[in-house]
Amino acid sequence: MEILSNFGDGLLVAMQPQNLLYCFVGVFLGTFIGVLPGIGSMAAISMILPLTFYLEPTTALVMIAGVYYGAEYGGSIASILMNIPGTPSSSITCIDGYPMAREGRAGIALFASAIASFGGGMIGMVVMAVLAPALAALALNFGPTEYFAVILLGLVAASAVSNGSPLKGVAMVVAGLMLGTVGVDLTTGTERFTLGIPELRDGVSLVIVAMGLFGVGELIVSIKANRHGAQQTKLDYKKFYPSWAEWRAMVKPILRGGGIGSIVGALPGTGQTVASAIAYAVEKRLSPNKSNFGKGAIEGVAVPESANNSATQTAFVPTLTLGVPGSASMALVIGALMIHGITPGPRLLVEHADLFWGLVASFLLGNIMLLILNIPMIGLWVRLLQIPYRFMYPTIIVLICIGVYSVNNNVFDIWLTLLFGWAGYLMRLYRFEPAPLLLGFVLGPMMEEQLRRAMLLSRGDPTVFLTRPISAALIAVTVLLLIYAFASALSARKRARAAMTVPS
Amino acid sequence: MNSTLCLAVTAAALIATSAHAEPGAWSDEPVRIVVTFPPGGTSDLVARLLAQYLESEFGQRAVVDNRPGAGGTVAADYVAQQPADGTTLILGNNAPFTIAPTQFDTLPYDPVESFTHIANLGASTPGLFVQPSLGITDLDGFIAAANGDGITYGSSGVGSITHILGNAVDSALGITTIHVPYQGSAPAIQDFRAGVLDAFYDSMAQNAAMIEDDEVVALAIASPERSVRFPDIPTFREQGYDVVIENWTGLSGPAGMDADMVATIHETVEYIMALPPVIEQMDTWGISHTEMSTEDFNAFVANTIEVWRPLIIAANVNGG
Amino acid sequence: MKNLTHDTAPDAAKRREDETQSSVEPRGDEARSVPVLVAILGGVGLLALSLVFVIGGVELGVGTPRRLGTGAFPVLSGLTLAIICVGIILGDLRNGHLDEVPDWISFFAIGAALAIFAFVAERFGLVPAVFLATITASLPDRTLPWIGKAALGAGVSLASWGLFIGVLDLPFRAYMGF
Repeated sequence: MEILSNFGDGLLVAMQPQNLLYCFVGVFLGTFIGVLPGIGSMAAISMILPLTFYLEPTTALVMIAGVYYGAEYGGSIASILMNIPGTPSSSITCIDGYPMAREGRAGIALFASAIASFGGGMIGMVVMAVLAPALAALALNFGPTEYFAVILLGLVAASAVSNGSPLKGVAMVVAGLMLGTVGVDLTTGTERFTLGIPELRDGVSLVIVAMGLFGVGELIVSIKANRHGAQQTKLDYKKFYPSWAEWRAMVKPILRGGGIGSIVGALPGTGQTVASAIAYAVEKRLSPNKSNFGKGAIEGVAVPESANNSATQTAFVPTLTLGVPGSASMALVIGALMIHGITPGPRLLVEHADLFWGLVASFLLGNIMLLILNIPMIGLWVRLLQIPYRFMYPTIIVLICIGVYSVNNNVFDIWLTLLFGWAGYLMRLYRFEPAPLLLGFVLGPMMEEQLRRAMLLSRGDPTVFLTRPISAALIAVTVLLLIYAFASALSARKRARAAMTVPS
Repeated sequence: MNSTLCLAVTAAALIATSAHAEPGAWSDEPVRIVVTFPPGGTSDLVARLLAQYLESEFGQRAVVDNRPGAGGTVAADYVAQQPADGTTLILGNNAPFTIAPTQFDTLPYDPVESFTHIANLGASTPGLFVQPSLGITDLDGFIAAANGDGITYGSSGVGSITHILGNAVDSALGITTIHVPYQGSAPAIQDFRAGVLDAFYDSMAQNAAMIEDDEVVALAIASPERSVRFPDIPTFREQGYDVVIENWTGLSGPAGMDADMVATIHETVEYIMALPPVIEQMDTWGISHTEMSTEDFNAFVANTIEVWRPLIIAANVNGG
Repeated sequence: MKNLTHDTAPDAAKRREDETQSSVEPRGDEARSVPVLVAILGGVGLLALSLVFVIGGVELGVGTPRRLGTGAFPVLSGLTLAIICVGIILGDLRNGHLDEVPDWISFFAIGAALAIFAFVAERFGLVPAVFLATITASLPDRTLPWIGKAALGAGVSLASWGLFIGVLDLPFRAYMGF
């Protein structure tokens, strides 16, 4: 009951005209900037940050949050249409979204992504409203051992994301871990594999890996495919909106994705990526349509989008209540609050209740706005694919260049994108999938950092991972998952062998 | 010939003594204030605040240009190579100018010669915080605990100011502690709250709320004298250990800037730093402003490198 | 570099040759069987990369369990990857093929476009960089005449000037040194 009255108060705050207006400005701006490859919520938020100096703190927060989830949504548009993931979590949307677009089902994929984002956002909002203190407590109970355990679980899920050869999927995850070690070692300050290049001291930027492996690599493939005219997307108005069966197929993935996303999202840093990966891996096991995953399954679009967006909402919990930003964008949220003299921390829920509940209520309004804004836009986006590819691909390449260049204003990043683009093309020739690599690359450095920190704090005793209850439980789940995966792979092989021997 | 030389000398003398340049815009072009951190941190916010007041008070357009990387050396290297026409400035701090010269064997720039260090903005003071459950109330208790079960402490990273401070405290107190580096202070504080860390070093002002709530015990502050804001917290010095480390920040440009322009920028920055809303904002970020002339500030930057050198070497953070 | 200029040169004879060649090549995503040595190159390349990390990691030092060294994680992940790579190579030996016919012209043209953007953006600003990169990227397309490529370059560079510098206010310089 108290939650309802709090939420009602929050709704009143969020419905104030200037909050509504800036919420709209936020989601609008976020969506459009998110569509541009490489330019994500980070650039959008830092652009509007000076504007927030003049706004009420709640209004500022509502607008920034709007930009944030608007950009996440916009990023999924780029993933579906161009196979360019704006964030590591939308790299999972690429897996099924881009094949759908190439089949001429881009409209349905965008629709699924919009609906799933909305559904996930709503689940995230409810979880945040009901469980905010509990989630904060959960995040507070997460020390290095627990983070290590949850990242391990995420990595196992990441290998399962692969739809090709399982061995190559695992190889890509591990290759991602390995690439993640390039740069200054956080624990000792020693340079690793930087070849003496100062720009590599901070490692390879995620944007570069994503733009290179996905964007540039795919572009090289598609030039020839389009030259032969075989892959030109057909515009089929019947394939614009999901059929009844497709609607029904989305419901469970959205619910499962949102549930997983809202809990895992509360863990700063790891949240969205791990959430999308776990949700996709779980869905791939549970879905009746599992054989179509990776070839354009609508469930494969709905589940990461739902997980990602619910995680986006609950990511505000650790940011606001612990002051721990999970991402650079969240660091900007803290910055915007600090300008107004509000220090994020456990007392924020009590001292600035209107701010917190106004934000929660704005998720409802903002997500509705996003839906109203984007459903009519789907037709426009799909028509974008009708532009002859000979005009499109040079434009996309330039957008990638500008996007990469905008991150650090350093042309070295473009040279690196060139290398990763070529690597991405070669990987495609040899059927190595980029998504597991990207997940490994994001999670690897965190995993190493937490592992070494845990070992330092335990004075070198590896049993801490099993003696602390949360981490022990997570490791048990991971082991069970591995056993299950091996058992099902074995039985599948047995079945295949039986099928082969019977006719002979 | 002679008269021109004479004129030049007089002009130079005039510039050298022209402490009375008027604050105002100095460039028709928008000025880029390069920040060594990604958006969102205190340093970034200071730059944005400055940019905002430059425009609103003097109509000087200014944009913040975040160029994070390699401990601020990427940003400093970039600024050192820009034209010295006042359109590119850097919000400098100890990372590229004080620590990097000792931490890295080779730097692409000279922290003193490659720059015109224009104006000091201020400094924040870090302190030592420990878990209340440890029952430690002063540095002697800290020494006893370190010699007993051992102490783990969190810093904002290898080679960060809090790491160097932690190491300096260790050697001043004659103890050995376990250093656990984090990426910034926020995750360190989270682990502290989760109970896995015994202690951490961080800016005093950022932890004001935790001090008030008795969630931490602040053992000592690393300023020369007690802070006005935290009058109850003793300095290291008064407890008998000579540890003073402050986290400075200032505005610099490439070497060879026009002296008149430097004077104008200096006066403009001083004017803005004296505005009441700016003072109030800087207070909440824990940055206290000290006015320094341009010459003093240049000397300060050069001197700080030497003062810190032994501390940085002792912390063993050589990055090659 | 020689290869690159060769591939992107507007040489009419060469172009005709490519066209006749591509018309007999299998189209689309059809798999192409290749010599075993080529088929295992992917796995071998990855194996070599993993060994670089293992050797580099050992040189950095693996440390002790309590204080894991700088090289511990690279060695661990590199070794794991090396073992997996052996499995991949064995698999490819039996059933190796490329997913499609490599398109080296596009490969180098896109690379050149990125390289030109990087080279020009720093020295002459965003607008000339976008103009030249767009034209370079459109080189593998033979349906668009030169005038069309130039028009596309002009259009995209003006649009990106307006969008990224005008509207979004990103800290780029539109042009310089003119």
